[in-house]
Amino acid sequence: MKQSNEKVVYTTCASHCGGTCVLKCYVKAGVLTRIETDDGKEAQLRACAKGRAYRQRVYHPDRLLFPMKRVGKRGEGKFERITWDEALDTVAGELIRVRDTYGPASILYLWRAADMHQINNSNPFHKLLTLAGGYTGLWGIASFQGGISASEAQYGTRTTDNARDDLLNSRLIILWGWNPANTITGTNTSWYLAQAREAGSRVIAVDPRHTDTAAIFADEWIPIRPGTDAAMLIAMAYVMIDKNLQDRAFLDRYTIGFEKFKDSVLGLKDGEAKTPSWAEQITGVPASTIENLAVEYVTTKPAALMTGIAPGRTAYGEQYHRAAMTLAAMTGNVGIHGGSAGARAWESSQWYPFKMKFPRSRTSKGVHKADLPDFILKGKAGGYPADPKLAVILNTNYANQDLNTNKVVQGLMALEFIVVQEQFMTATAKFADILFPTTTFLERNDIDQGVGTAFYGYVNKVIEPLGECKSHLEIARELAVRMGIADFGDESEDELLRQEVAGTEIPDYEEFKTKGIYRIKLDEPYVAFKKQIEDPDNNPFPTPSGKIEIYSSKWATCNNPKLPPVPTYIETWESRNDPLSAKYPLQLITTHFKRRVHAQFDNVPWLRELEEQAILINSIDAQVRGINKGDKVKVFNARGMVIITAAVTERILPGVVDMPEGAWSEQDENGVDWGGNPNALTRNQPSPIGSYPFNTCLVEVEKL
Amino acid sequence: MEQIGFFFNQTRCTGCYACIVACKDWHDIPAGPASWIKISAVEKGKFPDVYLGYLFTTCFHCGDPLCLKACPVQAITKGLEDGIVVVNTDSCIGGEECKFACLKACPYKVPQFGTESNPKMQKCDLCKDRLAEGKMPICIAACPLRALDVAPLDQFMAKYGNMRKAEGFKYIKRVNPSIVFRPKD
Repeated sequence: MKQSNEKVVYTTCASHCGGTCVLKCYVKAGVLTRIETDDGKEAQLRACAKGRAYRQRVYHPDRLLFPMKRVGKRGEGKFERITWDEALDTVAGELIRVRDTYGPASILYLWRAADMHQINNSNPFHKLLTLAGGYTGLWGIASFQGGISASEAQYGTRTTDNARDDLLNSRLIILWGWNPANTITGTNTSWYLAQAREAGSRVIAVDPRHTDTAAIFADEWIPIRPGTDAAMLIAMAYVMIDKNLQDRAFLDRYTIGFEKFKDSVLGLKDGEAKTPSWAEQITGVPASTIENLAVEYVTTKPAALMTGIAPGRTAYGEQYHRAAMTLAAMTGNVGIHGGSAGARAWESSQWYPFKMKFPRSRTSKGVHKADLPDFILKGKAGGYPADPKLAVILNTNYANQDLNTNKVVQGLMALEFIVVQEQFMTATAKFADILFPTTTFLERNDIDQGVGTAFYGYVNKVIEPLGECKSHLEIARELAVRMGIADFGDESEDELLRQEVAGTEIPDYEEFKTKGIYRIKLDEPYVAFKKQIEDPDNNPFPTPSGKIEIYSSKWATCNNPKLPPVPTYIETWESRNDPLSAKYPLQLITTHFKRRVHAQFDNVPWLRELEEQAILINSIDAQVRGINKGDKVKVFNARGMVIITAAVTERILPGVVDMPEGAWSEQDENGVDWGGNPNALTRNQPSPIGSYPFNTCLVEVEKL
Repeated sequence: MEQIGFFFNQTRCTGCYACIVACKDWHDIPAGPASWIKISAVEKGKFPDVYLGYLFTTCFHCGDPLCLKACPVQAITKGLEDGIVVVNTDSCIGGEECKFACLKACPYKVPQFGTESNPKMQKCDLCKDRLAEGKMPICIAACPLRALDVAPLDQFMAKYGNMRKAEGFKYIKRVNPSIVFRPKD
């Protein structure tokens, strides 16, 4: 298919979707002309619609091509072009000024993950700012902080997931708030689900929505109210205990604290037995359905409870994760083929058996990102560790994606200086004083890794950087020079990548670079905790007790009634019973939209035209409000208002509405958002362990 | 003549749109009303007893294509060996000239037109160029669920049975669309 003068470059797309997919790029005269995907042996690592649309992203007319400085008021989005010299001098000058005037703790480094890469990620700036004297860290992983913390409490590690091809060994797969057909979470995940189903696995989906995953792969859909998942799981534990079906040998051998959990479930502490009827009131799931699922899960082996991370993004989301892991133990499905530890249906960096150490977020230090506006506005007077003055922002569309947009904006407006590194004029870029234009992954080199599958991906530079765009590494290095930092290091991108590969499983760097993929050969699908289960004496769990802590000693020391040591259902704020529900009776969830990756790709024409951003509302709720399909509606609560199209459907639980996250804000002069961004409505209150409750929010919907 | 056709496994399709975007990229079709592939959602029932299936639609390279007969300048031809139906863009006089005769004739509304004035007809050509090089059509190669396949239609019928129906799809015997399904019940 190659034309003359056309070369082929393999690279991997590791967007923030958990896919690491092959893009076979055709380049003619330095221009990317077409894209294919993996054309090797099965299992091919095929790209999704977003990866296939990358040509329109990289060459988008709105790409930021040169540095800019703000003219006019912050947030207006008015900029003028400047040279790199002026941009870098200004930023270096401000970093030094703020550090020397107020101290390094007044510097904020606000980053998230964007592309999941080894070199061009948050590390170059972390290194720069650390060498320059430090900064106040911000923590809290929006995706799954609750899941991580719960996992670390119960298993002592966040590395808990079996490989995706192990699903072929499951006789029963429970998809709990998990929608890989839309969210990807590992290349080929949906394909393995399809194959498992076709080979005879039974699949059950528990979700407020009849998602594409539930629709296509599940034999049964169990609709559940958002924020109540822990109640259903705990009631399932009740059923297992009541019928004496739990795996007592497993619990005795590998866990501690089951008796304390059992007491709680039976209601010995609070007088309320956590029966299916108790849970029915809370969840809306019929008691018989809860009982049947419990019996099915405990009697079908092996069974994989795939714990989606969306239910963890609720006011007490960590309890859902603790309860799910506990059921995995009660059913004896930890550490076996076809089972699942039930922690998080997501596995990213540091995942065994990779020898390469991938970057992971520095945990639990500094200020929680959801508290950032408060931190900026109150500082030390509010009990925070510093008075923030300056923010370096990259790899995140913070002003679009974080809870409670209006609060976010207040915080950003109060800083003295903001520098943003971006590809487009996003909601966040608009708040910059200086804008650094940066490259896409097609314009630089890097390494990434498979999620849920054992392979490394090479990111090959396909085309030269557009305009004056620079990579993360280049920008940080040039700032280091201007800030007089001598030991930042001057290794090239290639040298750094060769260093990464040395000492790993990858035998030949050049071959890895050319092919774009290195698959780690395993004799069988990887199973987490296999050693801990097969040889527990020599392989304790990395917890204080060496066992799975159904009663978490760590959480017990917190002495926080909202962070109990055993899995407990705690009613969320803004639940159906909240007095607020009289005014705002609908539960809003903010799911992932299949034609985007969070806020990325929202501006790509081939993708935009596939589906319109809309709020999903059940026909019953729509009818009483006089809303028909395609009507414009206003969605509001005390925190804000969004105008958006209504998509009337049968595929969502009545009482629940879904406004997919990631749509680009378009605020009018009254602060009303016309872009369909749900964060105008969400509340910036983290859970006790630091979860982001994107899925705990009450709203009302009215016809416009 | 060994008619080449599609196999679409409706039980696997999750409506991810990778096929649509891959096709637009490969054939350089801009965003706009013209798309050689359509994916439609078939929804039935009332909460909580709901059904969803996705349907893949493209040119089905019919055994007896009505578009071919309707074209006033014979711009549409059917391959004598492979049965692939193609439009000759040079011969096509543009939709406004002939009042979109092929589109009116096609029961599946396959012929596509861009936004330029008097647009030429465009549609799936089963990636003839790719097939000639031993490669699969771009949509087949793209599908992350492996829900699509292309081969001589006889092979599909031998393998999957004479399954010509699917949810949301109307099998029109008269035109004999070259597609076999595994429908989602």
